Amino acid sequence: MKFNSIILFLVVFTLFSINNQAVAQKNKKSTEIIILHTNDMHSKIDNFGKLAYLADSLRKTHQYVFLVAAGDNFTGNPIVDMYPDKGFPMIELMNKLHFDVTALGNHEYDMGQELQNKRRQQATFPFISCNVDATGAVAKPYEPYVILKAGKIKIPFLGILQLGENGLPDSHPSRLEGLKFTNGIEKVKDFLWLKDKYGILIALSHLGVENDEVLAKTYPQFDLIIGGHSHTTMTKAMMVNNVMIVQTGSGLKNVGITTLHVKKGKITDRSYELVPLASIKKTDPEVQAMIDAYNSNEEMKRVVGFAETDFSSKEELGYLMTDAITARMKVDFAFQNGGGIRISELPKGDILLKDVFRLDPFGNQVVTYTMTYDEVKSLIINSYNRDKSVDLAPSGMIYTIIVNAEGLCTDVEMKDMTGNLLDANKSYTVGLNSYISASYKFNHKDPGTTNFNTTAQTLLDYLGDVKKVNYAGLNRVSVKK
Amino acid sequence: MKVTLNNNEIIIFKGATISEMVLAYSLRSHKMLKNGKLCVYDRFGNLTEPDGPVYEGQLFYLKRAE
Repeated sequence: MKFNSIILFLVVFTLFSINNQAVAQKNKKSTEIIILHTNDMHSKIDNFGKLAYLADSLRKTHQYVFLVAAGDNFTGNPIVDMYPDKGFPMIELMNKLHFDVTALGNHEYDMGQELQNKRRQQATFPFISCNVDATGAVAKPYEPYVILKAGKIKIPFLGILQLGENGLPDSHPSRLEGLKFTNGIEKVKDFLWLKDKYGILIALSHLGVENDEVLAKTYPQFDLIIGGHSHTTMTKAMMVNNVMIVQTGSGLKNVGITTLHVKKGKITDRSYELVPLASIKKTDPEVQAMIDAYNSNEEMKRVVGFAETDFSSKEELGYLMTDAITARMKVDFAFQNGGGIRISELPKGDILLKDVFRLDPFGNQVVTYTMTYDEVKSLIINSYNRDKSVDLAPSGMIYTIIVNAEGLCTDVEMKDMTGNLLDANKSYTVGLNSYISASYKFNHKDPGTTNFNTTAQTLLDYLGDVKKVNYAGLNRVSVKK
Repeated sequence: MKVTLNNNEIIIFKGATISEMVLAYSLRSHKMLKNGKLCVYDRFGNLTEPDGPVYEGQLFYLKRAE
């Protein structure tokens, strides 16, 4: 098995080398530069050993190998995101592999500016972005670009960050206070002198492929756009306006190998290959040991709350989940679907971090709505009629399902937590998980919005606030024929 | 926000992912996406991962995995 693995890798690697040697012959006297690139790793660390093995193998046979990331290194794996030093495993692994640079991604802000500063301080590589002004913010200033050297050749990499319709990167606005963001595509024009000076210009873009296309159409000065944000897996490079655009998906499933040949300060040849890391059967043992240690760490056993009594039903756990949403998101009501409550019991005593992720493992976001009384009612009726059974665990209200002879819900009696009927003429703020938002049919004029907080994180924050919880025997839903 | 999947207009919350867009389109398709039997492609024909973001006006296509 081991022998077969080595053979497979050598075949892949040799084919890659033969191809590049042929190009090198064609480009005699040109300098070959290999850029290993990834994007949107989102804290997924399991393939770092394979990436390390591939990078080291290439470094042994090629003089100039760069390793770069196009942003969103963090958020997406509790092993990393919930580490005592939030996000540190990612930095330690990226340092170990000698990353040269990363673009700043929107999810780099998920841990807050202060922690981001710490992670950047620990990193042996810069986080670059040309369209973020940190003057007066907690975040330390960002370099807009970095120059990587291949002998006498200097290659500028320009960082560009995605902004949403609200002019902010997709992260909770509270984490972006004091920062000033400008449109990345417009801002690039201030850095075109890099092309004039160095003859080469590479974008390390966290704009997403749609914006990368615009970037390429607007600025043919770019030789290469190494993209991220849209989680696009490109098996072939996109060529737009003679600009090469590449991107490798998400979660470190793949790595891109882009090879440049540079002659007299100009790129004479470019090629791109997507390498699924599953195809690399060998791993760097030192890096693998680090990954194994992180994956088996004790952090998931950290106490995050205390259950004064047993949770003995999915409903009780659902009420805890929705109470977290109403309290933390400051909404009137919240609802949790039964299928999204993944454990049915939790013994009294310490609630551990791993319990929260067992209860709510999906990474769903909280979506908030403003809804009329009738719209809330339509949500409950439709949820019941999906399977002719109670589905939604509420917070902020108690409700009674009225069913007809066929067992279908025809009406709902909704009361506040003190037992008063809800005002049918009022609008209410409602928090749902993104699964309900996407898959349940209900009337709502407000399409809903998310502030990029997950339901699990919301529950953790809530447990941090209240410390102790007790839901024994609680029932907020009844059915009347 | 409105996005288009297989020429069908989907109305979904801002901040949704590719996976959530497919869920809004069809439960069955979502199950097939999770099982790896279906994949989502962008308007350029590139494969897009289920955890990728979706924005107003974007076009996507669901196809059987190759």
